[in-house]
Amino acid sequence: MPLLLLNIFFAAVFTLLLGSGSIGTFLSGFALGYGILWLSSPLYPETGYFKKLPKTLKLAAYFFWELVISTLQVAWDIITPRHINRPGIIKVPLTARTDLEIFLVANLLSLTPGTLSVDLSEDKKILYVHVMFLEDIEKTRTGIKNGLERRILEVMRS
Amino acid sequence: MITGEIFLYQAGQVSMALLLAGMILLLWRLSKGPTAADRVIAMDLLSVLVVTFLVILSIHTRETSYLDVAIAYACIAFLGTIALARFIQKGSRHKQPGRDHRQKSDDLCENFPDKRSTHD
Amino acid sequence: MIEYLTGILMMLGSLFCLVAALGMIRLPDTLTRMHAVTKAGTLGAGLVVLGHAFFHQQTGIFLRAGFIIALLLFTAPVAAHLIARASYRSGVALSGRTRVDELKKQH
Repeated sequence: MPLLLLNIFFAAVFTLLLGSGSIGTFLSGFALGYGILWLSSPLYPETGYFKKLPKTLKLAAYFFWELVISTLQVAWDIITPRHINRPGIIKVPLTARTDLEIFLVANLLSLTPGTLSVDLSEDKKILYVHVMFLEDIEKTRTGIKNGLERRILEVMRS
Repeated sequence: MITGEIFLYQAGQVSMALLLAGMILLLWRLSKGPTAADRVIAMDLLSVLVVTFLVILSIHTRETSYLDVAIAYACIAFLGTIALARFIQKGSRHKQPGRDHRQKSDDLCENFPDKRSTHD
Repeated sequence: MIEYLTGILMMLGSLFCLVAALGMIRLPDTLTRMHAVTKAGTLGAGLVVLGHAFFHQQTGIFLRAGFIIALLLFTAPVAAHLIARASYRSGVALSGRTRVDELKKQH
């Protein structure tokens, strides 16, 4: 992670030199610093920084999109007079191993479409998830594993 | 430019009315709620609505210091929710065996220490 | 121009908050109510705070608004998870529409 610190340092210097302390200046300074570091990337052979940042941004975009979709889905069920929800609790076997990975998976899962993490098994291998619109159990399970968990693990392990 | 100001003023009034309506609904759930967990969720959402209301008030009155109040309120509300959630969990230990059909109370006591350390 | 954007974001956000509160009344059991709270509540509050950040356009306000959004995004799922687990273990009844409960077999 020293490259991230270096990048933030570049952005801070850029902001201070221009003398107009706004967020826009800082962000453009960060982008410029990222470009410069990318140009000099042969100097840092064993860093995952240039793969990690785009993946993190992709995860954030995916996550906000899912948050909007899930809210609309839940809101639709609340507003319309007939209930369309079919709740159920399913178990999802976890590929995530460390505490931080499990924490991220469980918390981001709580904010994505119609899923809420309820409990974790004793050996930290199975996550119990409450699903609000349960059509097909297997499909929901593989959807969680291939969608959210795979993306988080890509960011964490690259 | 003047029409924009008027639009913002009216939008502020409308959103405050919507939030107040939501708070009244929540108070109903807070008094009615069949279980303690329902009341805790109602309280949690009520604090989110209060934070939102403070932010709208900050736009409405052009007084940015309301934003600091909103930050402090959000922090305190989170701590309150956590404390109440722990309280519910503790309360379930002393329940009479007939009511708790999923788990024996002995198991609950044993499970808590290691579960807690993995999440907090 | 920025006033229109802020006003629309503000009304949309408070509408989502109202929908979340309505969900507390209308949804059948504790766990489904929690879905409404974590999602609609967080998104509604986030939209309003975003509108505030666009309106003032100062660094301090941006930072404070970002802090509030981060606070809401991090605390909502943690609180929801804690309450869900506590309420499930204390034996809250699930609604009659529930299809499957794979956690029940474990205990």
